[in-house]
Amino acid sequence: MNKSTNSGARRNPWTRREFLMRSGALGVAGLSLPALLAACGGGGGGGNALVFDNWPLYIDPSEDGLVGSVERFAQASGVDLTYTESYNDNDEYFAKIQPLLGNDKRIDPDLIAPTFWMAGRLINLGWVDKLPLDKVPNKSNLEDNYVKPPWDPTGEYTMPWQAGTAGIAYNIDVTGRELKSTADLFDPAFKGKIGMLTEMRDTMGLILMSQGIDITTISTFEEAAAAFDVLEKAKADGQIRAFTGNDYIDDLVSGNYAACVGWSGDVLQLGKDSPNIRFVVPEEGGTLWADVMVMPKGTENTDAVAKWLDFVYDPVEAAQITTYVQYFSPVKGVQEEVAKLDPELAENPLVFPDAATASRLKSWANLSDDVDAQFADAFSAITGA
Amino acid sequence: MNTLRSRIARMSLNVFAGLGLIYLFLPIFFIVLFSFNKPKGKYNIVWQEFTFDNWLDPFSQKSLTAALWVSLRIGALATAISTVLGSMIALALSRRTFKGSSAINLLLVLPLTTPEIVLGSSLATLFLNQTYINFGFVTVVIAHVMFQVSFVALTVRARIRGFDWTLEQAAADLGSTPQRTFRLVTFPLILPGVLAAALLAFALSIDDFIITFFNAGSTATFPLQIYGAARVQIPPQINVLASMVLLFSVALLVVGATRGQRSEAAKAMKRPKIKIRK
Amino acid sequence: MVLLVLVCVLAGVVVLAVFGGPEARHLLAPYGLMKPGLLWMALFFLAPVWSLVRISLSTKESRFSVQYNFAWAWENYSRAFSDFGGQFQRAFLYSFIATILTIVIGYPIAYVIAFRGGRYKNLLLGLVVIPFFTSYLIRTIAWSTILADQGPIVSLLSTLGLVDVFEWLRIMDNGKLINTPAAVIGGLTYNFLPFMLLPIYVSLEKIDANLVNAANDLYSTPTAAFRKVVFPLSLPGVFAGTLLTFIPAAGDFVNAQFLGNPNTTMIGNSIQDQFLRQNNYPVASAMSAVLMVSITALVLLYSRLFGTEELV
Repeated sequence: MNKSTNSGARRNPWTRREFLMRSGALGVAGLSLPALLAACGGGGGGGNALVFDNWPLYIDPSEDGLVGSVERFAQASGVDLTYTESYNDNDEYFAKIQPLLGNDKRIDPDLIAPTFWMAGRLINLGWVDKLPLDKVPNKSNLEDNYVKPPWDPTGEYTMPWQAGTAGIAYNIDVTGRELKSTADLFDPAFKGKIGMLTEMRDTMGLILMSQGIDITTISTFEEAAAAFDVLEKAKADGQIRAFTGNDYIDDLVSGNYAACVGWSGDVLQLGKDSPNIRFVVPEEGGTLWADVMVMPKGTENTDAVAKWLDFVYDPVEAAQITTYVQYFSPVKGVQEEVAKLDPELAENPLVFPDAATASRLKSWANLSDDVDAQFADAFSAITGA
Repeated sequence: MNTLRSRIARMSLNVFAGLGLIYLFLPIFFIVLFSFNKPKGKYNIVWQEFTFDNWLDPFSQKSLTAALWVSLRIGALATAISTVLGSMIALALSRRTFKGSSAINLLLVLPLTTPEIVLGSSLATLFLNQTYINFGFVTVVIAHVMFQVSFVALTVRARIRGFDWTLEQAAADLGSTPQRTFRLVTFPLILPGVLAAALLAFALSIDDFIITFFNAGSTATFPLQIYGAARVQIPPQINVLASMVLLFSVALLVVGATRGQRSEAAKAMKRPKIKIRK
Repeated sequence: MVLLVLVCVLAGVVVLAVFGGPEARHLLAPYGLMKPGLLWMALFFLAPVWSLVRISLSTKESRFSVQYNFAWAWENYSRAFSDFGGQFQRAFLYSFIATILTIVIGYPIAYVIAFRGGRYKNLLLGLVVIPFFTSYLIRTIAWSTILADQGPIVSLLSTLGLVDVFEWLRIMDNGKLINTPAAVIGGLTYNFLPFMLLPIYVSLEKIDANLVNAANDLYSTPTAAFRKVVFPLSLPGVFAGTLLTFIPAAGDFVNAQFLGNPNTTMIGNSIQDQFLRQNNYPVASAMSAVLMVSITALVLLYSRLFGTEELV
């Protein structure tokens, strides 16, 4: 589809929508026309369809008699929501969308949820559009610490989906003891039974903090060089069993890992089924991250996006998501709502961090492109792939 | 003594082959076994309890079923294209040698002697450099046809090598048009080889992972979906679908084996008939 | 450029066919029949190789750019060797060992089926092939379940007290069967076994039983009969099987990913990572090109030494 039609549609969304609806009423001929338009342009301007590509297992599903958020939203708003779960890895996803967005083409999803640093990169590259925040009344429910964050200084491009912390997940049946420090990951007793994340900022964040380096202000590669050496040595010694993404849980549950760097919500989700799997924010500190919703460049279904943002920033709805995924919610008032559903969860410091926990959580500074490249190269040299 | 020794040797060889079969079937046994597992929580890695649920509802994982459907469509389309193109090459090659036929032979073998990762990544660099086609369904079909053509051409050629092409000549001498000759003489002769090649090509397409991985963009084929699932959770439905494919292949094998014997006999009967009719 | 030459050749063929008269047309008939297929291969096999080589010598405009400038950038190749030399070595070493293992395991099975299968021959052959009708990925993932630390094999070995033996054999490492070099090699062996077994079977099956009988009649021992009659005649199968096993194994990344550890990555893992995660297409292309060239060289050398004409 050529650009002029696209921009024309954006300038004048309602006429086009009306046009679509009328032609729909025309019956057979109308049926094929919108389909044709949808095929070349992907939905009408301000259309009523929405494609959200998110990380897997990151929303409450419809199960055990509960209606999941996806269905609740569709019923409440009438928006035709396609919720997919193919966002598996920031770098991999970036490599997939790069040939399209880099060549001024659209990608299918109207909304994706990259991790904060990737969102920052996308904003810098100009590959995302501003969110339709003026149509999102509930934006006022955004927690204060996510207002105009470092990765999105104007606060116009991103709304956090969930936040969380990377710490140490361990299988107490294998370790035989409680862990509390990042140094435990390098205990020779666990040789070959330690897992690390391929998410560089989480793995390196823990190691850097264990060396007393402040990741909130880090700005050069030299500051981190020693930490990379630690990781390199651990890998060469056979201390590290694998670098993985989400799949670390498999190895943790099956006992292949004694301990690994993991994400808080994942471990909490395992919950009562696997009481031997524990999570701790290391005493040296854990990383604080956020996965944020952004609109890839050229998204036309901005009205549907606005409806969705408004829906998930309603504390009552957000509480449903939090109860399932058990990550930090960026929405004000969720703790009170969760207390009504699950009082025990509302008191869990790994879901609603108390002051003691919060003081140990640090989030990464914005790395400049060159420095980010150095970090990425050094890390991929160690992961060995 | 010699006989005892050779008998022991014989026995141990048979035992070794038997162990080999067990080795081959070990993972298959686990795949089928875990299709009956009732996973606790989300992870199908530890045996919990026996259930038929997964088999009763094999298509409950929507994205998985959708991916299977994508794979079947890609497989069918790519196989159709590559079977026609490959068979044409095979026909041309098998009649007579001509200038450049050895170069073409080499070209056909090259994709087989090139690692998949090289095929996949090089094709991806080609698509990366242009703005006409986006990575997706079309690029996967193109990629699959690319390696299938070689397989089809070589398989068909191997099957029809040594055929009596004078039959075509005879038909022409008797006044048959080229189209008619193709329909009544050539096509029936090459059909079994073409079908075998198409089956092979389809099987290769359905299970291809590495080449597809580089060229799929955000299109998820069945293997890509499994790869994605392996990073999060492997639902038992994957095992069910895999077991179903297995059962289907076994059935095909049995049918093929029994049909194969019959068609051999049929072929022997048919040969003189063609001659008489012409 | 390759494309340009091809287009010229094709144009020449068309011109000849149109103006060349019946004789030329007869001469060109096979080319006409092959044209669509060959054009496809030229477009999507030869042209990509060309573009791979081009990108491997290019530089990116900026880190996240999709624009590449051809610049004779040999540094991509020096980076491929300096940063990923270990991965190249492991790829060739592991696939070499796996190839040997497929011969050791596949040959006896093929032999038993071909010479002792009797009327069960087809059934046995079918049994051997059936496991490979399940998806490659699922098979590999199944192995990772079987070999897990608390999985059935490790439990069996420790009950039998064989863990120390396996540790000594370097198959196990620190009580682990999985995430070891042995697991990666084992996975490669398993997944590519049919590519060795079937060609060997085909060449064994072709052997005239009378030849073996003749050897026996001439008082040859079974061993000698095998060594002097059967084995030489099965070599074409071993040769073809070696190529069909070694080549895909050397470029594989699935086994190393699911069954290996960070110290067992193969070149396939690096190409995949650089290409599909780091967006470093030039270096990834350089690694691909090196892999392609070195495998082609190995194949040519191997065919010169042991080859037969019967490969295809």
